[in-house]
Amino acid sequence: MRAPAVRAPGAGAGAGAGPGAGAGLVAGAAQDRPVTPEQPTLRGRTEVVLAAVPGLGGLYARGVGTSARHAVASRLGRASSTLPDVVYVAHGLRAGADHLTAYQHLLGESASDVLPAGFVHVLAFPVATALMVRPDFPLPLAGMVHLANRVEQLRPVSLGDVLDVRAYARDLRAHRSGTQVELVTEVRVATGPHGSELAWRGTSTYLAKGTHLLPRDAADPGRAPGRAGSDPWVAPTATAQWRLAGDIGRRYATVSGDRNPIHLSALTARALGFPRAIAHGMYTASRALAEVGAARTEAFTWTVEFAGPVLLPGTVTVRIATDGATGGFGYTGWNAGSGRVHFSGAVVPRS
Amino acid sequence: MAASPPNSPDPSGSPTSPAQRRAVVVGGNRLPFARAGGPYAAASNQDMLTAVLDGLVARFGLQGEVIGSVAAGAVLKHSQDFNLTRESVLGSALSPQTPAYDVQQACATGLETVVGLANKIRLGQLDSAIAAGVDTTSDAPIAVSDNLRHALLKLSRARSVGQKLKAVAAIRPKDLAPVPPRIVEPRTGLTMGEHQALTTAQWGITREAQDTLALASHTRLAAAYDAGFFDDLVTPFRGQTRDQNLRADSSLEKLGTLAPTFGVKLPTPATMTAGNSTPLSDGASAVLLASDEWAAAHDLPVLAVVVDAETAAVDFAHGQDGLLMAPVFAVPRLLARNGLTLDDFDFVEIHEAFASTVLCALAAWEDDEFCKTRLGLPGALGSIDRDRLNVTGSSLAAGHPFAATGGRLVATAAKLVAERKAELAGTDADRPVRVLISVCAAGGLGVTAILEAA
Amino acid sequence: MTDTYLNLVNSGFTKKMAKQLGLPRPAPLVRFQAGQPLVRGPVLVLAAASSGTDADAVGKQLLGWGLDVRRHASAGDTFGAVVLVLTAIAHPDELAEPVLATGATLRSLARGARVVTLSRVATADDAPAVAAARHGVDGLLRSLAKELRGGATGNGVQLADGVGVDAPSALGALRFFLSARSAYVDGQLLTVDTTAGTLPEDWDRPLAGRVAVVTGAARGIGAAIAETLARDGATVIAVDVPAAGEALAKVANKIRGTALQLDVTAPDAGDRLLELALRRYGSLDIVVHNAGILRDKLLVNMTPEKWAAVIAVNIAAQLRINEQLLVSGEFTRAPRIVSLASTSGIAGNRGQTNYGASKSGVIGMVRATAPLLTAFGGTANAVAPGFIETDMTAKIPFASREIARRASSLQQGGQPVDVAEAVAFLASPQAGGVVGRVLRVCGQNLVGA
Repeated sequence: MRAPAVRAPGAGAGAGAGPGAGAGLVAGAAQDRPVTPEQPTLRGRTEVVLAAVPGLGGLYARGVGTSARHAVASRLGRASSTLPDVVYVAHGLRAGADHLTAYQHLLGESASDVLPAGFVHVLAFPVATALMVRPDFPLPLAGMVHLANRVEQLRPVSLGDVLDVRAYARDLRAHRSGTQVELVTEVRVATGPHGSELAWRGTSTYLAKGTHLLPRDAADPGRAPGRAGSDPWVAPTATAQWRLAGDIGRRYATVSGDRNPIHLSALTARALGFPRAIAHGMYTASRALAEVGAARTEAFTWTVEFAGPVLLPGTVTVRIATDGATGGFGYTGWNAGSGRVHFSGAVVPRS
Repeated sequence: MAASPPNSPDPSGSPTSPAQRRAVVVGGNRLPFARAGGPYAAASNQDMLTAVLDGLVARFGLQGEVIGSVAAGAVLKHSQDFNLTRESVLGSALSPQTPAYDVQQACATGLETVVGLANKIRLGQLDSAIAAGVDTTSDAPIAVSDNLRHALLKLSRARSVGQKLKAVAAIRPKDLAPVPPRIVEPRTGLTMGEHQALTTAQWGITREAQDTLALASHTRLAAAYDAGFFDDLVTPFRGQTRDQNLRADSSLEKLGTLAPTFGVKLPTPATMTAGNSTPLSDGASAVLLASDEWAAAHDLPVLAVVVDAETAAVDFAHGQDGLLMAPVFAVPRLLARNGLTLDDFDFVEIHEAFASTVLCALAAWEDDEFCKTRLGLPGALGSIDRDRLNVTGSSLAAGHPFAATGGRLVATAAKLVAERKAELAGTDADRPVRVLISVCAAGGLGVTAILEAA
Repeated sequence: MTDTYLNLVNSGFTKKMAKQLGLPRPAPLVRFQAGQPLVRGPVLVLAAASSGTDADAVGKQLLGWGLDVRRHASAGDTFGAVVLVLTAIAHPDELAEPVLATGATLRSLARGARVVTLSRVATADDAPAVAAARHGVDGLLRSLAKELRGGATGNGVQLADGVGVDAPSALGALRFFLSARSAYVDGQLLTVDTTAGTLPEDWDRPLAGRVAVVTGAARGIGAAIAETLARDGATVIAVDVPAAGEALAKVANKIRGTALQLDVTAPDAGDRLLELALRRYGSLDIVVHNAGILRDKLLVNMTPEKWAAVIAVNIAAQLRINEQLLVSGEFTRAPRIVSLASTSGIAGNRGQTNYGASKSGVIGMVRATAPLLTAFGGTANAVAPGFIETDMTAKIPFASREIARRASSLQQGGQPVDVAEAVAFLASPQAGGVVGRVLRVCGQNLVGA
């Protein structure tokens, strides 16, 4: 991977060297772009400009390294309990047509020039990941669980659009099985030589299982539907059934770049404590989004909560239906045999 | 939604201007339907389509005749059959100067083909036409995997040895396994039976009601064969003289012994069995359509007029309506446009994809609340007594080679109204004799039509 | 099916071997093809002294057909046909001269040659000597036919009193017997009863403008009849049971006719035939009752079902259809009924009491039906096939089949088309004077002489 170059707001390019920065490359255009005024939370954060979007494979390799360091630090009682006060930035991203088409075919989206919201996530994800593999990021990347995801698609993003991505972490919180954190990623579309418009905002909630950085009494008692202990969940009328082949994790890894070993094979998944490979959460959520279809309109909010892993190969029973309460669509995926929920969420047009 | 198109016919179904002449059904032909893997296992779609056209030509003495257009379709089609209908025409006894084209609208292919050609006749674009349909689930197309296909396409475009090696290297052993077609909705991954099981549960259709309808289908089809009703509608093929699926000796007791096959994972009791569901079938059908003038010039009989048709679709993928419920929506619009009620029909032919498909439709039309809220009607549409419904049996007994079912229904319906009209001669000769035809189809589609005795 | 024996003894090494062993050597029969000459060589017209006038008239007619007609044989002549005119003989003594002259030509007949006698029917009203002379022709012709080899046949035309040699049916029958159309008709005497009938404008398409129904037309003899009638110009409605529809459609499409899937035992079968013919083609002129079934069983073991089924299909259905046609008032355009009888109905056959009764019944039926049609210029007749090579006879065990084949004068089985040619002749306008007769197409099988 290429190391990030870091600069403080207002400082000259390359003024500061972030951890791990070696022969840092600076994207020159970055200094012309101001921090977005709409995001006061970003004020004061140190901006790290990535010269290029890093490959996720390298990030994972590095994540394993940092995770090892976390383990050592944790044992020594020296683990950090605060988030690094940085925002990672990548400028000038463009989607590739072949990449987009491969994604659309796999997820069942029609092959239009509009980037599906899940595809924007795929494009922006490495920027957030780059942040999470910083040595001073308090949670280990390896084995991190995706709890929930929320995407606000504010306007369509098209093939050919030039994209700027910013990612930062927030809301480090105790969870009953560890510590959770939110990674916020924003994608702006260049609207001219100097202007840009916020088009997409994703908020991913991750859980580092077994990493207890914060006092447990602050743990969020919230539980996902279908979990033991909650009211008995009754399966609704199904509208679809997904028969997921054993290789769907590898296929989604190919289009998303997310080669987390838990998705790739039973062998690699077992090494991380799963009986078989599990489907990418974002694959299931993105497929539900695809099946809502054109009714989602151009601007919408798309949420998902991941309640339990989908083991591969496997069959997921799904209901995707209009929801009068929200004026949009709700969706749920569950195992018809065990009655356990895998995921649930909503797609609600922004009016 | 219910607004009449500009060329909508007046309620009597008679022509109102020279541009709106009548399209009539002269007659039909079909092969006995066979079960998948049965006597037609080695026959291709083209074989069966050619045979059914030849049978029609023989029945009406059309050898060497130039027909205005032959349109036909198959739901499961090999890629080499891109010009299936034209190739079949060239192999038939029709004039090789007869134009042809392929049509496809899932299980509604046959009926939609009749409707489209009838409209061309009404517009004066055609004087004669043959609407046909064929399907084989025995010789269904087997595709190669996506990976293999992509690799082979790359290989065919590769110029250098290196490019070729690279293309070949991308092929994995598992890519070599063939991919047979599955009868599932692409958007939901559910089979048609699984979809229908949801609708069946929703409308609370009982096992007994389904088995009773299935039994009636077998009993009536067998009786119609025995009475010679199909003597001029069916031409034997490959030694098969009647529909292979027909069980003349079926009974409620026998049907009752069958284990449910669909909806077994639902919380409600599973009611759908192989006995009250249509089997995968092979077969073909054809209908000869014409203008009155063409039929008269060829000294051919005229059984019925194609009065009007209406298509609907439902959003089954988002749980709003059952996959096979679209005809429920199409029929009220069709009736309204023609100023008719369900009581104005001597016969109703509803394709029996499953016994419960028919029963759900009937239940929906009898449901005050549903008709008010979903169909926008003042109240229930009405009910259809069983002595007008599928009187010579339907798909449960005959089988259902997808694209061939529409032709079977139209030819049967046309003969039914023509015979009833003949019976009325002398007593009530002026009373219009109508038949309502309804076909549900994959993709949440439904095509419906009205025929009236000529 | 293929007659392997016939092929073997007529080709190559096996031909020579058969000759040396003195095995029966059936000759390949010459069958009708469009454009072939009517007769394969000069025609010798011989006559009893008393019959010279008729012989002259016949010779003139033959010349009119473009034949090379001779009245005397010369050394070295190879005749395609010999016509023996015996119409005026009054005593058996008169036979000697013309018959012996005929005999002198038999060694030099062409392959597939024809010997045809023209004589008169003997009746109880004749003087005994006249009747003896006339009836003598019967045995003479049948015996002569059995001497002929090389695919040659001998047949006779018997005229009723008052019917001249120039009557349409006299000429029609003579021409039929001379032509290759009668290839498998041998040793038969066909009676011409009246002067009814008309000669066709085109001898190659005598059925032009005629609408015909053929029952049992899906395969075998019925299919051949449908094809032959269509070849002769008829528009054909091919009928068979619904179960035979696939083969029926092929036949109908081949001859550009119409297929009608109909069980002839249906109560309204006749009405339905007529309705289709009238609506589609404007008339119905020819009905060929070919549909028939076998349910063989020795009478001692016969079941009611087997008996009833054969009677129902083979004769009762024909009677019912004919009745419906006759009362309709629409079967009046010089109508023709041709029914398929069988040599079993003439000579009987072990195990075929039901079949024999039905086929013999057909013979009785046409005899009584024909007079009902004569008022409209119509007639009804029967054709009785002998051993014909069909799917049905292919099922006979090999030994029995070989015996049946070689038992005829032509030493072979006939083809479906041979029966069809006889049917086509009886359906033709020129056969109007043949009233209620039976024409056997059996190669002069020993069965029933």
